[in-house]
Amino acid sequence: MIEAHQLTRRFGAFTAVAGVSFSVPEGEIVGMLGPNGAGKTTTIRMITGFLPPTSGRVTLGGRDLFGDSVAIRREIGYLPENVALYPELRVEEYLTWRGRLEGLDRAAIRRRLAEVVDRCLLGEVRRQVIGTLSKGFRQRVGLAAAILHDPRVLVLDEPTVGLDPKQIIAIRELIRELGREHTLLVSTHILPEVELLCRRVLIIDRGRIVAHGTPAELREQWHGALGVTVELERAVEGAGESLAALPGVDGVRAESEDGRRFALACAKGSDPRAEVFRLAAARGWTLVELSASRASLEDVFVRLTTRDAGEAPAAPVAEVA
Amino acid sequence: MSGFLAVAERELKAYFYSPLAYVVLTFFLLVQGYYFSVIVAYLADPRFPAGKPLELFFGQTIFTWLVLIFAGTFLTMRLVSEELRSGTIETLMTAPVSETHVVLGKYAAALVFYLFLWAPTLVFCAIVRWFTPVDWGPIAASYLGIVGIGALFLAVGLFASATSKNQIVAAVASFFFVLVLFSIGLLETLANGETARAVLGYLNLWQHMDEFAKGIVDTRHLVYYATGVGFFLFLTTRALAARKWR
Repeated sequence: MIEAHQLTRRFGAFTAVAGVSFSVPEGEIVGMLGPNGAGKTTTIRMITGFLPPTSGRVTLGGRDLFGDSVAIRREIGYLPENVALYPELRVEEYLTWRGRLEGLDRAAIRRRLAEVVDRCLLGEVRRQVIGTLSKGFRQRVGLAAAILHDPRVLVLDEPTVGLDPKQIIAIRELIRELGREHTLLVSTHILPEVELLCRRVLIIDRGRIVAHGTPAELREQWHGALGVTVELERAVEGAGESLAALPGVDGVRAESEDGRRFALACAKGSDPRAEVFRLAAARGWTLVELSASRASLEDVFVRLTTRDAGEAPAAPVAEVA
Repeated sequence: MSGFLAVAERELKAYFYSPLAYVVLTFFLLVQGYYFSVIVAYLADPRFPAGKPLELFFGQTIFTWLVLIFAGTFLTMRLVSEELRSGTIETLMTAPVSETHVVLGKYAAALVFYLFLWAPTLVFCAIVRWFTPVDWGPIAASYLGIVGIGALFLAVGLFASATSKNQIVAAVASFFFVLVLFSIGLLETLANGETARAVLGYLNLWQHMDEFAKGIVDTRHLVYYATGVGFFLFLTTRALAARKWR
């Protein structure tokens, strides 16, 4: 349905998006995941036609977005990152306005308005002035406006940002429901959201796609990599270095300030727990924890998007409410 | 077309939903009413030469100009820059509406509000008519001039508004442009070349307004305004498009 071909966008000397290609098949929900500043919003703005790419192309059902821009825009519903609304209008007024902007006639607007107000749970505020609404309601007004003209493709940029947990659940449910009728591209930096909602995931970092696949595929890809947590009773000089030198250990990260707790990143297919135990025994360290965990999508994400080994902290990972 | 109407209507609503409209309207009428009363008092004084109050009201004084220049600035400074600041521009530019329709819609709203501003001054004409017969021709011509020059200034202001997301910057820029347009013609008397004088004379808005107030409708003036409006609206659409490429 949507295809991005080698999208690149530079702002002066800064390259925000560097050669991103992907496609969103009809009827799929694709999640775009990445830390803040990874280039998600820039990519999305190119997909919706707000920002022309420096190079590359976007096609929608085979038609070039910038060739036939005005007609194609009708097929896209877009919820921008900072849902910007006109604060002086009432919810109903605003939605009616959006409907007219999309070229719907009066009857269609009335019918669709009732429907989206109902779906986005806006009934109680439909006559309220937008400037007086809470963030959660504004988000829902934005979403209602995006689906008002029943577009084939929905593009949602961080739809749950700034909402309280209850609202997040409600919005997610709505998104999942919308996914049954629309092709969806959702960007987020919240991991569980992607796992919950999306059948396919793109992980984007520093303007590039660093991984893509279903959440299961991604986990599978990194399945062999084990994460081992080691906690000592007392801090020991040089413990981190000794652990890092063990065979099968790729890297060590201090997990606590006092130097007692470490997270070991392991090479694919290796399980250094026995080595850790023997090292501890040989040096006379007292282990209070030695545990292993399989990579979660979160680990995959952190691994893929951490700037450099040793450069702490990693990119902001999850802001789960 | 529905996009144009939607934009224009929302923009008009925005005028009337915000206090700005009422502040501008109030001051406009206060200032205009004061000018009118000053003119009438002046003409009523036997020591001064007799004249036609409405001709003076529309031409020959700086009063009309102060109003025109400030109206051009205040009515337009918000139009695009507010959308750029708040981010609503993203909705507008991703909706199936062309930049031209957006610009025309906003311009139409500003123009309608501008006409609304002047409408009450018809009462002044009625007052004069109450006491003395008036010649309606020059009055119609005066309003034509007011609308023409106002239309030009509003287009300039709209363009200025599209150049910045800061309304104050937009207002200052538009004030500057409008002032240049207004004063360039005043250089006519200082020019020494024949051509220079002719060109500046053509652009002399002050002269235009005097002629309109006397009932002279020169189509060359109207062509100038229409061309200016077209030019600045075109620049506005370009400024909106250019925003994307930055």
